[in-house]
Amino acid sequence: MLNRFKKVKWLAVLSFSVGSLLTMNQAIADVAIVVHPSNTSDFNKSTIKKLFLGKSKSFSNGRVALLLSSSATAAATKEFNKKVIGKSNSQVNAYWSKMIFTGKGTPPQQLPSPAEIVSAISVNPDAIGYMDTSAVTSAVKVVATF
Amino acid sequence: MKLLKTLFCTSLLILITTSANAEIKVSGFGSIVAGKTLGTVDDPLNPGQKRDEILTADFYDVGQYTNDITFNAESIFALQAVMDLSTNFKVTAQLVAKGVDNFQPEFDWYYLTYQATENLTLMAGRRNIPMYYFSEFSEVGYAYPWMRPPSNLYWWQVTQFNGVHAMYNFDLGDYSNTLTFFYGNEYSDDNVEMLYYNKLYGGSAREVNEYWTDITGVNWNISGDNFDVRFVYFQNDRDRETVQADGSIDPFTPDSITFMGVGGSVDIESFTVLFDLNFVEYDDALGTEFPTYLVSVVYNLDQYQPYFSYSKADHKRSKVPTEDLEEHYIMSTGLRYNFLPNASLKFQYDHFVDQGDKATGWAYHGDSDTITVGVDFVF
Repeated sequence: MLNRFKKVKWLAVLSFSVGSLLTMNQAIADVAIVVHPSNTSDFNKSTIKKLFLGKSKSFSNGRVALLLSSSATAAATKEFNKKVIGKSNSQVNAYWSKMIFTGKGTPPQQLPSPAEIVSAISVNPDAIGYMDTSAVTSAVKVVATF
Repeated sequence: MKLLKTLFCTSLLILITTSANAEIKVSGFGSIVAGKTLGTVDDPLNPGQKRDEILTADFYDVGQYTNDITFNAESIFALQAVMDLSTNFKVTAQLVAKGVDNFQPEFDWYYLTYQATENLTLMAGRRNIPMYYFSEFSEVGYAYPWMRPPSNLYWWQVTQFNGVHAMYNFDLGDYSNTLTFFYGNEYSDDNVEMLYYNKLYGGSAREVNEYWTDITGVNWNISGDNFDVRFVYFQNDRDRETVQADGSIDPFTPDSITFMGVGGSVDIESFTVLFDLNFVEYDDALGTEFPTYLVSVVYNLDQYQPYFSYSKADHKRSKVPTEDLEEHYIMSTGLRYNFLPNASLKFQYDHFVDQGDKATGWAYHGDSDTITVGVDFVF
């Protein structure tokens, strides 16, 4: 009887955990690319990828982009790297280590929270960043969602 | 070098303490690698005698594995300081300490960068020669999957130079391109690798000086959604002074080297294919040629990256056709585990097969099986 009770309890814990994992997955599913509201440049996956790999330096409006990224361990970073760059975090980090130590590029500036990315972009017309769609506020403009 | 070091440390201190006009960024990389060879071989240069198998993991600095576990063959620590002098000018210095030099730090990179326009970058100073695809970052273990770019290809006695680079970026359709023109010289006094060969063949030279001058060439890098490919062509004049104990210098006929190649990486689903095909030619009396190639496949499984690679080097003579010269391949298999966002753990097994001619002393490496374990990191 006791054994049976334990089994049921264990199953309940398991289903609850699976349930929370699924909800968590949904919560981090989408990543928004955000710029200053005044930035009217053209954006698509290819232009965003080139900017964030340092292969192009400026927006279609001619201004040099200031790249902002979430922390290396943030869920949004993993999503962004997977969906936009098409590589895993470690592959992207390896790419930047090659660029930094051959003097051929500077990685995006890391900010610790989406709130800080929002506030940095809201005061800089040339900044671009990415974040979980749920963290977007009216202070920034979403130009693409992946 | 010492003077340069003192000068740099002083300027670094001044910059850090005052930092009035310049911003300084410090970053770095390193590898801690231990390894050993597994067995013994008949010494190819001393027939009838047994010796430990030897794997030369770093030819330039002669970093080698034998049967005794060592951390010194490949462990390295490097600090990079980038000082922004203005919005367009910056100075970059890399202070590198290697196990093979008993961790005596040296400035391996020291150059000025001028961003002339958005797409044109000029650099002047000391950098690696952009020879093979992985040459410029061959010491940044974190930047590639293996323990090292295959050492039987990355075997040159000169890897760095003082010179100038002009890098121009442009788009061609959907592809990003970079054209780099470079020119420079390297006067490598007391060259470690050349002195090693002298001793290996029973010589007793005091030092060997290797001079590569008028190193002139171009890189064309083209990348798209899932590939990055780079073409290289350069040539240089080569001279050598083998200085004997009594101060006399062995005669050497200077020649020119031509280096060509294509290398890169292609992503196919979860796989990355890395390759490098190169051809080096001397304009000497023998018509010396070195065709080499590398093919490697990496499976990207999130944090885990198992890989396999095959690298082959050959030595030929076009003017005096000779079949039996230096020839060898390395088959390597390993695993990279990215246990932190800025650090990875690697295991690698290397099977080196020396196919050189024993009778003429060209099989001087000898076969070897080697195991290495290491951690690469960046900060």
